[in-house]
Parts: sequence; C-alpha cells; structure tokens
Amino acid sequence: MLILPLDRKLLRDLSHMKGQMVAVSLVMACGLAMMIMTRSLILTLEGTRDAYYERNRMADVFDSLKRAPMSMAERVAAIPGVAAVEARVVVDVTLDLPAVPEPATGHIVSLPEDRPQVLNQLFLRSGRLPRVDQRREAVVSEAFANANKLQAGDSIVAVLNGRRDTLFITGIGLSPEFVFEARAGETLPDNKRFGVFWMNYRAVATAYNLDGAFNDLCLDISPGAEAAPVIAEMDRLLANYGNIGGYTRRDHASAQRLNDELNVLRALSVAYPIVFLSVAAFMVNAVLARLIRLQREQIAQMKALGFSSWQVGLHYLKFGLVIVVIGTLIGALGGRFMGGSLVHMYTMFFRFPSLVFHMDYSAMGLALLVSAVAASLGVASVVWQAVKLPPAEAMRPEPPTDYKPSVLERMGLAKHFTPTFRMAMRNIERRPWQSLFTIAGLSLATGLMVLPGAMSDSIDYLLTYQWNMAQRQDVVAFLTEPGSGSGFHDLQHLPGVISAEPVRSVQARLRNGPHSRRLSVTGMPPGANLNRLLDGNGRQMDLPEGGIVMSAKLAEVLGAKLGDEVVVEVLEGERPTRTAVIRGLIEDFAGIAAYMDLATLRRFMREGETINGAYMTIDAKYWDAFMRKVKDTPRAAIVLVKKDQLAAFRKTTGESIGIIRTLYFVLAVIVAFGVVYNSARIALSERSRDLATLRVVGFSQKEVASVLLGELGMLVLAALPMGLLFGRGITTFIITSLSTETVRMPLVVSLFTYTTAVIVVLTAAACSFWVVGRMLDKLDLVGVLKARE
Amino acid sequence: MCREGALHTAILRHVTDALNPLPDSPALPSHPVFTARGLSKVYHTGELDVVALNGVDIEFNSGELVVLLGPSGSGKSTLLNILGGLDVPSSGQLSYRGWDLTNVDEHTLTLFRRNCVGFVFQFYNLIPSLTARENVALITSIARDPMTPEEALDMVNLGNRMDHFPSQLSGGEQQRVAIARAIAKRPEVLLCDEPTGALDITTGITVLEAVERINRELGTLTVIITHNASMAQMADRVLNLSDGQVVKSRRNETRLPVRQLDW
Repeated sequence: MLILPLDRKLLRDLSHMKGQMVAVSLVMACGLAMMIMTRSLILTLEGTRDAYYERNRMADVFDSLKRAPMSMAERVAAIPGVAAVEARVVVDVTLDLPAVPEPATGHIVSLPEDRPQVLNQLFLRSGRLPRVDQRREAVVSEAFANANKLQAGDSIVAVLNGRRDTLFITGIGLSPEFVFEARAGETLPDNKRFGVFWMNYRAVATAYNLDGAFNDLCLDISPGAEAAPVIAEMDRLLANYGNIGGYTRRDHASAQRLNDELNVLRALSVAYPIVFLSVAAFMVNAVLARLIRLQREQIAQMKALGFSSWQVGLHYLKFGLVIVVIGTLIGALGGRFMGGSLVHMYTMFFRFPSLVFHMDYSAMGLALLVSAVAASLGVASVVWQAVKLPPAEAMRPEPPTDYKPSVLERMGLAKHFTPTFRMAMRNIERRPWQSLFTIAGLSLATGLMVLPGAMSDSIDYLLTYQWNMAQRQDVVAFLTEPGSGSGFHDLQHLPGVISAEPVRSVQARLRNGPHSRRLSVTGMPPGANLNRLLDGNGRQMDLPEGGIVMSAKLAEVLGAKLGDEVVVEVLEGERPTRTAVIRGLIEDFAGIAAYMDLATLRRFMREGETINGAYMTIDAKYWDAFMRKVKDTPRAAIVLVKKDQLAAFRKTTGESIGIIRTLYFVLAVIVAFGVVYNSARIALSERSRDLATLRVVGFSQKEVASVLLGELGMLVLAALPMGLLFGRGITTFIITSLSTETVRMPLVVSLFTYTTAVIVVLTAAACSFWVVGRMLDKLDLVGVLKARE
Repeated sequence: MCREGALHTAILRHVTDALNPLPDSPALPSHPVFTARGLSKVYHTGELDVVALNGVDIEFNSGELVVLLGPSGSGKSTLLNILGGLDVPSSGQLSYRGWDLTNVDEHTLTLFRRNCVGFVFQFYNLIPSLTARENVALITSIARDPMTPEEALDMVNLGNRMDHFPSQLSGGEQQRVAIARAIAKRPEVLLCDEPTGALDITTGITVLEAVERINRELGTLTVIITHNASMAQMADRVLNLSDGQVVKSRRNETRLPVRQLDW
C-alpha cells in the first residue's frame, strides 16, 4: 500500500506522542462508551419490549371491575375501535410457602379454556398449560419460580377465597403485562413474595363466585382508532358493574415502570457525551496547538515546497481524526462491554422471554460523527493559525512569549511569593482557557466519583427515612375484601400484635383540570403513628379533617399546589365524586399517594366503619405465631413485611449501585489520569527549556519537578471544590431525571462520598505526576538549551 | 561560595560527602580549578560511535580567562559541559580543586552546579514568565552565599531594567541578565558557550565587557567558547581544539580590552 509522505509523517509524529494520544482517546472513549452503552440499552430494551408486546399481543387498554356478566364483554367488543377483548378473572390470593414464614401473594390471572388467549399471551418457558379439566393446575411466573426454586411438578398451597388449596405447577411462564413483576405501586420487585399464576378460568371463577362473569378486561384498539372514546364508552357500559375505570398502556404499572427507565436512559445518553466530549475536544485542541507550535518551521517548509494551505490544514486535522477513530473504537468496545454487563442488571427488574444486548451500530456512527465534530472544533482554530501564516514568517522563531505580573501580584501580594510560585501563577494566567479546561476535566472526574457515592447515600437515607421515620409498622395486612369494623378487630387480636391502626383505601381518580391520575386514596385515623406522613423537612404532618394530603410529586403531576381544590372521583362503591382541598404535601419516594382523614373518607363514601386492612407492630417473640395465624386467616390477602421489603430493596439496588459504582470509578480514574497527564505532558514540552535552565543553574530534579507539578497541583486543587460542586450538580440532574411517578430519590451527599472523590482524583493525579516526573528526569539538558527557541 | 579561600568551606559543606579526594593529591585551594587527565567522551548514536573528546589533558587555573576555539564538532562544547557537570566523561579523570568529579552521583553534580559553576549559553534561556530581577532571584534563592539580584544586575549594567520581562528586553539585555544570573551565586567558574553567537557586534561587545568585568573583579575562572577568532585577544590563554583533542595552546602576553578587539 502506498502511503503518502505526509501521512508517513503523520504516523511517525503520532508514534512520538502516543502517550497523549492514548490519554485523549481514552477520555473521548469514556463519553462515547457511555453514549453507545445508553443508546444500545435503549435499543435493546425498546426493541425487546416492542417485539414482546407485538408477539404476545400486549393489550392497549386495561380495566378492572367488581363483577360483570360475560355478555358485557361482547358489548365492549362491539364498541367501534375495539379489535379484541380478553375478559378474565384476576384475584390476589395468599400463598403459604414452606420456606417463607410470611404469607406471600399470588396474583392469579385466568386463562380461557375454550380458546387460546387473545391478549397478553402467556409465554411458556417450560412445562405446559393447565389441562382444561384440571382445577388445581397453574403456570407460575418465572421470577417467582426462580426466587422460590419452583419447577413444573412442584405444588404450592394457596388460600382461594378462604379455602386452602394445593396448586400443582405445570409450567413456568411470562407475560408482557408483567415485565416488571411487582405488586401494584411497589418500586422494586420482591420476587420471593409476589408471583403471578395463570389458571383455568373455571377454576378461579368458581372459587370466587364469578362463573359466567369477569372482573378484569383487556382491550386491543384497532389500528388508527383512538383509545379515549373507547374507554369512555366502556366505562359507560360497565358503570354499574363496579368498574374502576379503563386506562391505557401508558398508565399500566409494568409498562410505565419500563418507560420511566427508558426516559432516564435517554436523558443520560445526551448528558454524558456532551460533558466528556467537551473535555476531550479541549484536550485535542491543547495537544494540537502544542504540536503546531513545535512544527512551525515544518509548516513553513511544507508551504514553501508548494503544499496548499488546505493540504497542510488537512494534515493536522488528521491528527484529531486519528484520535477520534481510536476513541470511537475503544468507546464502542467499552460501550459494548458495559452495556452487556448492565443488561444483566436489568434482568433483575424486567422479565422478558430473552433480553439479549443489542449493539446500536447507528450510535457508533453517531459517536464517530459527534466526536469528529468535537475534535474538529478543538483543532480548527490552531490549524487555521498554522495555515494562514506566510511561510517566511513561519520560518522565523516565534517571538518570545509575553508575560505580565499575575492578578495576585498586581494586588500587591507579590512579596510573599517565591519565584517558582510566580512562574506558576503567571503561566496559569497567560493560558486561562487551557487552565480552565484542565480544571473542567478534573472537575468532571471528581464529579463522576461523587455521583455513585451520592446515589448510595440517597438510598441509605431513603431506607432510613422511608423505613424508620415514615413507616414504623412491622407489617401491613390487607383484607381480601373491604370489611366492617369486626375485620379490624380480628386483625388487632392476632397473636403478638402490639398496636394496630386501621386503613381504608379506595380506588379513585384525582383530577385537576386536564390532569388526572388513578390511585388509591388512603384513609387513616387521626394521630396515626405507624404510617407517618412527613413533609419536606421530615416533620410529621397531621391529617386535617376534610381535605386531602398528597405526595408532592402527585401535586406536580396534577399541576396543583397547596390550597388548590382537586376533584376526587371514587371508582368503587357508590362512586361519589367530590372536591377536596389539598391541605398538605408529603415528601415520599415511591409511587404517588393521597391520604384523607379516615372519618372524612368514610363520610365521603357514605359508609360505616369499613376497613381494608391495618398497619401493625408485632412483638418479635410472637412473630412466627403471628405469621402462621395470618397464613390461616382466609380474609387476609396481602401482608407486607417491612424487613422483607427492605431486604429486597437492598439486594436489587445494592447490586445495581455496585455495578454503576465500579463503572464510574473506572471512568473517573481514566479522566483524572488522562487530563493531568495530558496537561503535564504539554507543560513539560512547553517548558522544557525553563526546566532545563533550572537544572543547569543548580536546581535538583525534585525542585524542578516541583515547579512543573506545583502549577498543575494548583489546578488540581482549584478543580477539587469545583468538581465537588459539579458532582452535586450532576447528582441533582440525575436524581431529577430519576424522579418519576414510580421512583424518586432524595438528594443526599455525605462527607464520606466527597472525601472519597477527592482521594481518588488526587491519587490518579499523583500517578500522572509520577509518570511525567520520570520523563523530566530524562530531560536532555544540553540539547534543550542549545536548541533555538 | 566557591571563591578561593572559601572553597574548603563550600566543598566541605556541600560536596564532600560525595566528592572523594584523589589518593595522591589532598584537596587544597592551591590546586588548579580543573585538572583533566585523558578525558574522553564517546557518544553512541545508533550503530555509530562518535568520539567527541579524545584523551584531553589540561588544567584551568583560578582567575584565568580562557577562550576555546575550533571548528564545529571539535569537542569544545563537550569539554565545557563536562567541566560544568552537565555531562560525564566516558573515561579519564577530571578533578575540581583536587576533588574527583568523574565518579559522582547526580545529586553531587547538582550541588556542584548550584554552588560552583555559572553557565551562559548562546540562547539566553531566561524564564519568560519571570522578570530580570526574578530570573536572578531564582538562583539567589538556592545558592549558599549569593549577591543580591540587584548587585548582580548592576554588574552587567542592567540596574534600570530589573523589572522587565524577557519579552520586553533586547537580545543583548537578555544575555546580560543570563550573565547576571550565572554570576549571582559568586561561582568559582563561569562557562560561556558562544555567548555572543546570536548577537550583533555592538551588543556582543557590551556582553563581553560584562563577562570580562566579572572575571576581573570577582576573579572567576572564565571559559568562553567562540567561533570568532578575534575574541582570542581578550583571553589569558587560548586553546584550539580539533577532533576532540587540544591541538594548540598559547598564552597572551597582554589581554586586550574588549573595545579594542579587532572585529
């Protein structure tokens, strides 16, 4: 292959500056890797989700109701715009797992017996579907089966409408409506204690007196048809059947959770590359500026020989482009590797028939383009300066650099400074942009170290706050059906109960102008002390009589503020619609919630002492007895044990934070080392004459190194506080992007996190100092001093 | 401080730990400043060995002004660099006031340069970010018994340009700052490698006058490399080098003042 002489020069020059090439390429690669990783994860999750939804026919509209005859399903099917209807029975049952002391929850979904499923089709991983004539056979969701080590052929005890029954597992399956498999409103899955079961329609319907009827409906909307009019018509048709109200896939718990995750990834896929590439662009600029200053005479020679300005410009542009190509390749490999590791993390949260990492090659192309633009911007100004120079002028040595006293000296502080300190100050001031970007790069590294620590801090705080300050109960028990006061009495008298507070929750739609949300409104007695409502300052809030208290996030979603009136449309019982004034906003971090004083809510519902469940504290001595009794209490459907939730939370988030932490640690070290190395290398090259002079006049190697590194050290020290601020900023940004209706995090950064970030960056900087210090030792004193400037 | 008489103190304080006296010659101020015996330097460049110095035997005495003449590649600069502790010989022996300089470590050479030798190069090598005064202060901050930067700059007639940055000084002025910087430590030796090579005649004269004045007033052994043969008349002794050897050595009966040199 014929290589043009100019390209040969390019390759040789590059091999002389390989350290810097690698440093800049790596910083660039970090940004590109993050970009390629996030975009590939978006492609992977979105692609897998869309294919899964399509193949297994995920419904467009969902609805649940009390009980409606099957004939109503046909009438819903006849609504214009409805393509398919799946009417089914869905119930929550208590499971008695031998290995789990607490009762677990089984979410049973009925399967049609006379035909295959039309919507939300089951993906059978192994085994078979229940036989039509078998009442007790069930397919179990994969996450639950894995967590409890269940397989086809095993059996499990469930309490179906008050009757203990043994269910035989025939297969393991998945469904597009349970990609995120958790109880409604839960932030993280607890696969050990919550599972989905698919059983024959008749088996479930008979047990719940729903034979010939349904209590859950899924619709497929025809292509081109609007969901809203369909939902309105369906709600009208089913109004008398205890209809909760239809909602689209956007509000479906599992689909929404997946969407939230994708939105976070989208935000990151833009933010990271911008930050990293800005720093990398500057590094390219600094390296090339130095190179062009050194090659001033060569440029003049090239032009004297007849190369055009364009050819010379392109030659130097190629240096930047080589860095870009190397950066993109490393970035692509890094992105692929990181994406591959993170996909594994997603399988903890999201269940698909298969989740295989797909590299977004278009992202690689985009990465190449974006970084080429960034590098070109970085190179353009210096290349332009080089090519516009007339050859004769370029042949002459550059005029001596102009210096002036630094700001501090002009302020009259000069007498306190040593000559070497003055050199450092004046050098920094003479190249403010170079200094600024070195600081920016180091701030980036510091900030990157702050972020994962802060996320960990936030979670720690969340666990302390949410679990110890707000939720002081040991368990929450819910009844299968809302019950009278005697239901509360029964719960209160379970063994070991120290205190109990009744809960009444009703499904409702909260409306403020065009904004609305469907959720449970929870009624609690005055002075409730087990589930405490805390405001933004962590102060307990009393439930005012009349009015409503809600999550600050809910108010934000509804576009309402304290004192505003919202419409509460209850979706059960007599379905009253009233208005309520927002009397308080609470700071909570999972889901969105609304609370009312118990008496007010009951008045609202025009009902007596109805409850759904209770918050309870349990004497540890009676824990097992309590749990045994609950398992045997047919009316208790769901029991949430605080410590289990805590453990599940810690396990899943702990693992993912661990992965993220390692990732960011590597990025921070690369950036810190790369930026300091590059700056030190350039400083060494630019100041080799000064440094050699110092050596010749009798400064020791250490003293000379301290001159060079003192200046960089000042930049490092300046960068640290800025980096900590930047870290806090980027944490705020990420936590804000994470702040969705399903999950939120408090902004907490501990001193430990800040300290760790500082130590890591200082260590990385010290390592670069060491490397450059060794080069300084090898400086050819005489050679440098006898060369023309 | 490395002037005669104070040499012992200086050497003892700074260099004795590392410098070993030659077995047969106790260190005394009466010794020549430098004694070289069979001094050779070979550079290995690629597959080629370049002999820069080839068995030089020579002595330099206190207060002398010596001019080294010779074509490019004759070994002048190599000799100067070895004398100044910037380089080490490949073989042979070099002693400074009777102290062996050939087998010493980098730290000792640093101390030697710091306290005993001043350098002036063709290119002034001032630190551009420091003013004239600060460039000199750089040395006075580390040397044992320096003069003040003001004294040093006065000696080269730059008392009125002390707070100017190198970019604000002419070439001759910059070179005189370099000389002031070299002599501020009161060195025993001043080594100048083509100090006027980058200057015009008039400026060159002022620079050489400064060098001569220092030699005369401070009694500093001064060795000057030049291509300009007419400068030989200002020296006490003129050495001609060729192919790494001293081929001719002559002593001038009288030294001509710089202004009277025939340029």
